[in-house]
Amino acid sequence: MLSRRAFLRSGVQTSALIALAPTVPAFLTHTARAAPAERDGRVLVAIQLEGGNDGINTVVPFKDEGYAKHRHTLRLPTDQLLKINGEVGLHPAMADAARLLENGWLAVVQGVGYPNPSRSHFRSKEIWESARVDRREGSRKNEAAVDTGWLGLALDDGARPADKAPDAVFVGTEDLPLALWGRRAVASSLARPEDYFLALQGQANPAGVAAANGSDLAAFVTRHTLDAYATCGQMADVLRAKGRGAGYPATELAGRLEVIARLLKGDVGTRVFYTTQAWYDTHAAQSPEHGRLLGEFSGALRAFLDDLAAAKLADRVAVLVFSEFGRRVRENGSQGTDHGTAGPVFVAGPGVRTGLVGKMPSLLDLEDGDLKMGLDFRQVYATVLEDWLGLPSQTALAATFKRLPLFRT
Amino acid sequence: MSMRIHNEVSGSWDAYKPSTQVPWTLRHVVHLHRRAGFAATWDELQRDLSDGPGPSIDRILAGKSRLRVPDDFAGTADLLAGEALRAVDTGRLKAWWVYRMLWGPDPLGEKLTLVWHNHFATSNAKIGYPTAMWRQNQLFRKYGRGPFGELLKAVVHDPALLLWLDAPVNRKGRPNENLAREVMELFTLGIGNYSERDVKEAARALTGWDVVHDSFRESASDHDLGEKTILGHTGRWKGDDLVRILLEHPATARRLAWRLCQMLMGEDAVDEVALDALATGLRTHDLDIGWGAETILRSQAFFDAKNMGNRILGPVEYALGSAHALEYFDPPPSGLVLAEWTARLGQDLFYPPNVGGWPGGRHWLSPRAIIGRANFAAALVEGNLSRPAATLDWAALALRHGKARDLDSLITFYGQLLTGTPPSSGCRKRLQAVVGPKAGAEPKAAARAVALLLASPEMQLT
Repeated sequence: MLSRRAFLRSGVQTSALIALAPTVPAFLTHTARAAPAERDGRVLVAIQLEGGNDGINTVVPFKDEGYAKHRHTLRLPTDQLLKINGEVGLHPAMADAARLLENGWLAVVQGVGYPNPSRSHFRSKEIWESARVDRREGSRKNEAAVDTGWLGLALDDGARPADKAPDAVFVGTEDLPLALWGRRAVASSLARPEDYFLALQGQANPAGVAAANGSDLAAFVTRHTLDAYATCGQMADVLRAKGRGAGYPATELAGRLEVIARLLKGDVGTRVFYTTQAWYDTHAAQSPEHGRLLGEFSGALRAFLDDLAAAKLADRVAVLVFSEFGRRVRENGSQGTDHGTAGPVFVAGPGVRTGLVGKMPSLLDLEDGDLKMGLDFRQVYATVLEDWLGLPSQTALAATFKRLPLFRT
Repeated sequence: MSMRIHNEVSGSWDAYKPSTQVPWTLRHVVHLHRRAGFAATWDELQRDLSDGPGPSIDRILAGKSRLRVPDDFAGTADLLAGEALRAVDTGRLKAWWVYRMLWGPDPLGEKLTLVWHNHFATSNAKIGYPTAMWRQNQLFRKYGRGPFGELLKAVVHDPALLLWLDAPVNRKGRPNENLAREVMELFTLGIGNYSERDVKEAARALTGWDVVHDSFRESASDHDLGEKTILGHTGRWKGDDLVRILLEHPATARRLAWRLCQMLMGEDAVDEVALDALATGLRTHDLDIGWGAETILRSQAFFDAKNMGNRILGPVEYALGSAHALEYFDPPPSGLVLAEWTARLGQDLFYPPNVGGWPGGRHWLSPRAIIGRANFAAALVEGNLSRPAATLDWAALALRHGKARDLDSLITFYGQLLTGTPPSSGCRKRLQAVVGPKAGAEPKAAARAVALLLASPEMQLT
């Protein structure tokens, strides 16, 4: 356990800047709750498929008569599908995911959504990331309206990583996802290892703004600045370390997962990692692009789990994969699909109970042209929090949800 | 001129007049230039401090606020754009825009251009054609402070946005909702003001909008001539009818008011009543963007204490504003390098993250961006924004403006230049402890002090 004094003595390159600050970084304020080093601690890696993945052409219900009825140009030939059972099969580009399924490392949760679905990318992402389905429409007008996410809130209730690592790390060039915003939990982001190499040392923090204005925005900026500096020295050391994983495809997503693997191999105490794969918003000429995306996704996922297995770390890791919505059942006139509702969620890793979970919604029994949801996404979240991470889910999800048989233990 | 006051919007947006309670101070001048443009130099601040708010705002609106504009600015800018487009080089196109923001006579106009780039967020990641991105950008500049309807019509008839949102493949009997949804959710009404049915009907109205040989064209054979009901209006609507219906809807005025407040006002500084008042004013002024911006800039609310220091600077504002205020003029910073920096800080020009644009506000300060800002500050003071690197003398700049070169005076001067107020005594002590109390005369220590100040939390706010 690390006291503030011990931390200040620890000689990280940023310690001068902490010493100069009028307040201590958030992670030092609750070290009393810090857990012992967590070499064996469980980790969640979330991958968000950005733009709305066409779930119907990902986990294909080839036996459903509605499939041929609604998908003309986009219909995937039955004989090319990677069959899971007599009714559904994976997209032909997902051979690596099919291998994970055979090895018993992949669960496919079908028909996941939420009541009164929004077809807005932004609103639907906000719902998936905040796990709040009841915020009033139009809340985007006010940035302050939604400022916490389900993982951030869950991590607020958990023990702090003993090694002063951030609770959550986002790997990507985009903004820190709402899902990771908590009240006390520290979330960090990086795109390239160089992002954590600080050229300027000896940062000072004038307290004048906070005192003069009393606005909590000033406090927010100060806290986030301190958190960023405090974590960057340690992260930089891990990321500089040699021994990168082999066998990753040369894709953006694989590169991001490789960075996460490096952090895991460096024994960083972070419990939640998060990244995204973009461009699922396939309104036109969907087929080649969607196949490429799914191939990139499943190839990266398998390489990541193989790399962790070789490093004897895979048992600690569960990967959660979701998208803000599925797409309209009937294809549009431009060989693409418009925004829809429910879709599949994947959970991968040695700890999962492999196979299908939940029922695929019928393509003949639609609501306003879209699938009716089967399972609530918050059931998946509750299961991941309680059964995998061992974190209470009620505050994070604002209610209690029936858990699903996703994990072996 | 300065008393051309806009009293039509009563109450919330009453005009500001300096008084003993709310005097015109350096802090107000810095605030004005930070919000309306890309910060100001010491001489520009002193001029406006002595002239008062009226003439200062007049100059900003007239595009005459900068003391130092290159004689051949327009020619150079056109040359830069031409070369970028000939070379099909997006990096150089970014550098062209950076040049306009950093050196042009009209920072407010460029800032509005940036606002519309965010509002109609189109990414070259999909377009892959710098000429189309440049044309769209010029529309933002040309129509960006006139009636919103003219801006909207110009942008939705322009190839970049049409290609971005799949308009050419939205055809009769084969609707594609992409443009229809985003034109309502993001460009006009805002979420919650239309139904899914409206989206479907609007997509039908937009059928037949196409891009042929780099230009907008309406293809009659692809248009759905049937009757549509959009937001309660029934008719054989075409795309332009949809645009008209959306412009007449009160939610559009409100979203426009919100967008202008997002640009010029800080967090929690505008309540619903004020937003409604501004929206009402906009409706009686043909949704005139310039009127809206001027009304805000001249208002008491804008200069109110609760609207100061409560807005997080965006990466472009932070990087370019720092370079301008600190007179990084000779040799000039490289536009290419500056554009790379804004991308690293989270705002890659011509590449917004998605159709919703940059979320802004608190989202700017990811840990990565915070580290990036500190690294940018270090690069700036060391002259590393130029290629090759420049040698900059931070004590000399203070000296040129009549300040002493000891560390305490330097800290005071740069604090005033960047925020309008001298840093607090706590900050001063901490800086001295890091840099060394007598180190002022030494160039490296002066540079370090400026960088530390620039990277500090309070400098991220305006």
